[in-house]
Amino acid sequence: MSAPGTIVFADTNEGDQLALLDILDHVLNQGVILRGNLVISLAGVDLVYVGLDVILTSIETAMRHINATSRVTEKTS
Amino acid sequence: MATQLKPTDRRVLYLYGVTQSQPAKPLRLMGVDLNSPVEAIECEGVICWISRVSADEFEGSLTKNMENLDWLSSASVAHQRAVGGIAQHADILPARFGTVFLYENSLRAHVREHAREIEKNFKRVKGAQEWGIKIFQIASPVAPVPKAGTGREYLQAKAALLSLKKPGGIPEPELAEFQDALNGVAEASAPAGRISGGQRGLLFQASLLVKRTNRSRLESVLKRFSRKWAGSRRIEWSGPWPPYSFVSQDSQSL
Repeated sequence: MSAPGTIVFADTNEGDQLALLDILDHVLNQGVILRGNLVISLAGVDLVYVGLDVILTSIETAMRHINATSRVTEKTS
Repeated sequence: MATQLKPTDRRVLYLYGVTQSQPAKPLRLMGVDLNSPVEAIECEGVICWISRVSADEFEGSLTKNMENLDWLSSASVAHQRAVGGIAQHADILPARFGTVFLYENSLRAHVREHAREIEKNFKRVKGAQEWGIKIFQIASPVAPVPKAGTGREYLQAKAALLSLKKPGGIPEPELAEFQDALNGVAEASAPAGRISGGQRGLLFQASLLVKRTNRSRLESVLKRFSRKWAGSRRIEWSGPWPPYSFVSQDSQSL
């Protein structure tokens, strides 16, 4: 991963492993031309995005805490 | 998700996007619900790509479903497969995730109303694709875990390490040089990453609109900077994405 000149490419057409975060980033970006005005309210969906950001960031933070805690446990046990 | 729909279930039209023409051969793509196929329908002079999905799942319960991470993951991956599959054969104006129409007539009326805007957007994305670019700080080698007698001492030492490792960002002249190089090969750029903004070590990210004919130029810019930043920063790029981030900003208020 950290070889000289590190560059990582995920090809959407080649079935490469794409990070879910990247898919959500692009799919849920502002890509809007037509909106079914009968169904969703933009404000409502935007609120969901804000919440999602918090959830995913929290998952990462939680994982970090779990890792840190397990190392503490190893040290102290 | 992916539960069999009964013929009696009420359906609505889930819109993936709009293209100017049909591909030579019909495409076989699965819809966002992993249940019904994607269809191309003639629509006021353009082609609308839709699938017929459960009204309950995508209309009544859409907001609730979007808060369910499992549902959202599966649906957004399926949405990308469908839109990406169409984009391999034609320039597409992607619809926003979750765009649903009750009837073909309401879809047609909407397309008719926004015909001028649709035409403007086709000009903008003609022959171009979206690329995602991210720069990460390469983590410095893990420092040895300090000797600590108690859990409290360990956590204090750990906290001191973490504050040292906070990414410092990219110095302004270097960032400007990188952005200039990108602007030289891209038609447009857009801020990205409302979802992944919290990734650890992320220093910079953007979405670019790049002509298919400029793809190799983009690649050489990225390779040049990855060599320059060897050992300190890692570049990740993904694509080609349908131009999700580059359809008219004005239309958000539609």
